[in-house]
Amino acid sequence: MSAHAAGALVPAGDPVVLRVAELGKEYRLYASPRERFRALFTRRALHRSHWALNGVSFELRRGQCLGVIGDNGAGKSTLLKLLTGTIQPSTGSVWHAGRVTAILELGAGFHPEFSGRDNLYFGGSLIGIGHEEMARLEPGIAEFSELGEALQRPVKTYSSGMTVRLAFALVTAVQPDVLIIDEALAVGDQHFQKKCVERIMAFRENGCTILFCSHSFYHVRRLCDSTLWLRDGELAMQGATEQVVSAYEVYARSRDVSAEALEQPIEVPAAHAGAFTPRLGARIVAMSIDETDGADPPLLLGRNLRVRVTARLEGSDEVPQVLVMLEQFQGHGIATDSTRADGARPQRLPNGDWQVVLTYPDLPLHSGEYVLSAYLFDAAGVVVYDEWYQHARFRYVNPQLTPGLVRLPHYWGER
Amino acid sequence: MTALFQELAGLWRLRTLLRALTWREVHARYQGSAAGVAWAYVQPLLTVAAYYLVFDIVFGMRLAQGAPTGRVGTYLIVGSLPWMAFCDAVGRGTSSMLDAGSLLQKNALPPALFPLRTVAASALVYGPLLLLLVLAYAPLHRFAPALVAAVPLLALMGLVTALLAWLLAIMAAALRDVVQAVGFVLAIGIFLSPVLFPMALFPVAWRWVLWCNPMTPVILGLQSLLLQGAWPPAAVWLALLAWIAALACVLSLLVARSREQLVDWL
Repeated sequence: MSAHAAGALVPAGDPVVLRVAELGKEYRLYASPRERFRALFTRRALHRSHWALNGVSFELRRGQCLGVIGDNGAGKSTLLKLLTGTIQPSTGSVWHAGRVTAILELGAGFHPEFSGRDNLYFGGSLIGIGHEEMARLEPGIAEFSELGEALQRPVKTYSSGMTVRLAFALVTAVQPDVLIIDEALAVGDQHFQKKCVERIMAFRENGCTILFCSHSFYHVRRLCDSTLWLRDGELAMQGATEQVVSAYEVYARSRDVSAEALEQPIEVPAAHAGAFTPRLGARIVAMSIDETDGADPPLLLGRNLRVRVTARLEGSDEVPQVLVMLEQFQGHGIATDSTRADGARPQRLPNGDWQVVLTYPDLPLHSGEYVLSAYLFDAAGVVVYDEWYQHARFRYVNPQLTPGLVRLPHYWGER
Repeated sequence: MTALFQELAGLWRLRTLLRALTWREVHARYQGSAAGVAWAYVQPLLTVAAYYLVFDIVFGMRLAQGAPTGRVGTYLIVGSLPWMAFCDAVGRGTSSMLDAGSLLQKNALPPALFPLRTVAASALVYGPLLLLLVLAYAPLHRFAPALVAAVPLLALMGLVTALLAWLLAIMAAALRDVVQAVGFVLAIGIFLSPVLFPMALFPVAWRWVLWCNPMTPVILGLQSLLLQGAWPPAAVWLALLAWIAALACVLSLLVARSREQLVDWL
């Protein structure tokens, strides 16, 4: 589970399960469908070429977890589609050993008029699960998807969550050798999302190779041994996750600086659309800063910044993880600290709630206005249960009037 | 031709899936209706029954000299049932890849599965009806041995239909207008075939036009079998084989040209 620090590769002895060589995908753009039609019969039809992916090569060994990052339109989806075989490469090749399962768009191919069970068998045949094997897997799928009697009803009567639950249970019914995930940690409600993550983690423990495409650097850092950064369809960088993600962040920042002012918050864990679903069962119930006055925004009175975050996990004894993020108000991100990274454990309150108290002693910030965010995670630090983004604002007046953002620990002279 | 054979080898490995897709296609067409799949069989049967009642029983219409049979209804039925099958398969087949677009973009499947499953679904409906037709006409010729030729004839018809549907489905993926054009051509195609009028009634100078319809040899063959109890003439077999060879060549070219991009076009 722990990220590999350097080299980021599973020992070279493990067999290669996925090999991508000089992979490229050209989209031919024709001026009109007529031109495209002409191209079927003659070689003289004119087209412009757009290479969505060009010259990408890498190998994945058993048990590795590879993150794929990059801007929108950098070729991530194209790469994933080529790996799953839904589209054909223009150059190069993809080789894989064993079963490849993709969690891309769940529920495609379900026919609304047929029952969940019919769709299960049909969907199984699309991904190479025969009738007999499906008969064997069906009870497990029914249990995991928690559909029960609803399995006999037409899929058109399902809620979107039910459809996705069935689809996820179906595609993950058989342990794959390579699992391809596209931002799919968000499936159904929070309770089911957690089950999904647990299943993916179990696959990983069993040696399944995972390719994970995400905009959430928190998750990429948390899960991936190595990472691949695509830029304009080409491999910009590949290597240990921390190196690649931080290089990408520098790139993204330098690009954004010219585009829009100096507003550059720290990347938010999974805060983009769809990646987290609030559930009543697990949520943040309070977030406060000690020793402040009643102004708006409140002024921090002491020298220490002490943040309290209270969370409630109903019907579960799970110990949650909490992450706190400190930013300049409308400015730069300054720090993120989490119970998971620091090995801290939230305190159980008498009413069953969990509370963390985070203290930044002798707050080394210069005078200004700041804002705090809190994130609530599951015990493994993967599923985002709740987020209070930029919830607690405060002002801080540092008696030392020197310019800058923070006071770094320092000394003068040699020592 | 290698492109086509590669595709076919891939499809052969997926034959179980093709069977599942075919069953689903047949059921999906009538899913939710009370009579279900029965509708698929009832519609052509009632049409054929109407021809017989109207032309042979009620009006007792007769064909001119030179026709393979004198009775209009009896004549019409032999041509129109295979023509209905052909239109059903080719019409649905042309749009089959486009209809399966979202499925193809999310699952690693060869696009050819979809026109082929459409043709197979039509064969599942019309195949038994056509065999029933052969059995119904067999007593007229005291079960002449030539009637066994119906089996290879219908098999070749299936092959021509499958190749054509596949070809048109690729063309429709490139240019949507193909679906409309095919619908129109199928509607007027019946006049360019010996379904309604015996070949002998067409002006000699224009008879070649009829051979531009791949169903002409099939219908001529069935007419000689079912109306006269005679073996289909060599021209029928040759024309069918020529059509198959020509379609396979063009299809192979289109498969090779489109393979890389086909799913992107859907």
